[in-house]
Amino acid sequence: MAEIAAQTPHPIPARESHWAELTRSEDWWAIWIGLGLILVSVGLFIVGASVKWLAVAPQKWSHVADWFGQLRGQGLRYAALFLLWAVIFGTGAAALGIKLPRFLTAFLPLYVATGAIYFLGSWDQASHYNLEPPLVALALGLAISNTIGAPRWLEPALRVEFYIKTGIVLLGAGLPITLLAWAGPVAMLQAATVSLATFGVIYFSAVRLGLDKRLAATLGTGGAVCGVSGAIAVGGAVGATRQDVSIAISLVVVWAIAMIFALPLISRALGLSTGVAGAWIGTSEFADAAGLAAAQTYGGYAGNVPGIAGSADAAVAAFTLMKVIGRDVWIGAWAFALSLIATARWETTGIKHRRGPGDIWRRFPKFVLGFLAASIILTLVSRGYTYAEYKKDVVPGLVAPLQALRTWAFSFAFLSIGLTTRLREFVSVGARPFYAFTIGVLVNVILGFFLSTQVYFSFWDRLGR
Amino acid sequence: MTVRDVDSCRNCLHFNALAADIETIFPGLASLSSAYSSVRAEDGLCSLNDRYLAASCVCNHHTREN
Repeated sequence: MAEIAAQTPHPIPARESHWAELTRSEDWWAIWIGLGLILVSVGLFIVGASVKWLAVAPQKWSHVADWFGQLRGQGLRYAALFLLWAVIFGTGAAALGIKLPRFLTAFLPLYVATGAIYFLGSWDQASHYNLEPPLVALALGLAISNTIGAPRWLEPALRVEFYIKTGIVLLGAGLPITLLAWAGPVAMLQAATVSLATFGVIYFSAVRLGLDKRLAATLGTGGAVCGVSGAIAVGGAVGATRQDVSIAISLVVVWAIAMIFALPLISRALGLSTGVAGAWIGTSEFADAAGLAAAQTYGGYAGNVPGIAGSADAAVAAFTLMKVIGRDVWIGAWAFALSLIATARWETTGIKHRRGPGDIWRRFPKFVLGFLAASIILTLVSRGYTYAEYKKDVVPGLVAPLQALRTWAFSFAFLSIGLTTRLREFVSVGARPFYAFTIGVLVNVILGFFLSTQVYFSFWDRLGR
Repeated sequence: MTVRDVDSCRNCLHFNALAADIETIFPGLASLSSAYSSVRAEDGLCSLNDRYLAASCVCNHHTREN
């Protein structure tokens, strides 16, 4: 093992360019794409037009003939929407270093498959058979990638996080900034309670089981803060081994996928309202993409499954408040704090870490800024409208089309999750990391359920209604 | 020596922070996250220490990349 190079303080080497991240990071491209779509939509709305022709989405159907009828009638719109996504996501992917022709070749089948699943989810019996699009997309993707295997040429378009982050920025357009200000503090309080408890349980269980503290911390943030993103952020900050990071990723992905199916099913069995279920999912799911799949699934039950109260969008809104505002934004602070502890208290590795508070910003999930900007923009645009006018003019002309675009972006992500998850490629995690993480999962789920359905029940229930 | 010239993993032969490579090295990373995200900063894998490290780290075995 290498030894510490020098004890004298070094200046932190400069990055290539502080501005480079604006064009080379997925987070910033999600902002440019999401805000770009919102600004164009707002511009059209102001001049009396709308982007709704382009933001096509399947309508409810009962018979296969309706399905073909919709396709025949709206074929040009679907083709135009494909072009829009291909151009904007293709531009972003190319900027990230993915070859454009390879991206486009892979994106076409992804778009067609996503559209087919979206259509299936619009069947009026879909909820009855649990054919919610996120679950179908995930199950189909998992089945393909773990049996015959997804073809490698599809991979350039399977950018789960790129689509999810773009969708979250678009989601900001549906949540007024006043709502974020009202609900944000409660979300942060609930999320902080669960994050600290879950991290503590996983970390101390892991250490008690004899695991290295760097692995314990990587597992802990993976379970408590933001899933795989939390694991890689803290893994890098504390200098975990390659095996540590691989173990944490494997455990997070397997548990997160299990939760996508379990949390909506349990919530449905208990008849939770959409706001309450969204808050629980936001507290207890590990990753944004997985949680949004669960929350959107549950939102789809509203109005379709008897006994599920609340609006369809409330599950996704409550999830986002809890996960993005309550948990994701703190990852830089977690990584910085743990890196300080690792240096001061843990066994030395022979590697000198240079760090500063600037690391908090460097690891900050920038797409959250786009989400907040989108919320502010739509709040300003909607100012001056009465509630009746808002429902009559702003929703159909501006909010609903952006909502449709958001659903497409999320749907690309849900299918991509399944298609990129090859369980046989995961490392063997061993019994002790599995036990430590699983104890944390149990605490996370139970505590999240208690806080969402008991302590803050009226708050989340009111949000949903 | 300018700040940029300071020895660190960022300019070390043993360090790999290429996003595409990181996603290959860690199966499952691209399923629910991404090597292209802000949270990863410029972290990468040191093939010598077999550790996942911040680009600003350094050790005695630093070998400057040409």
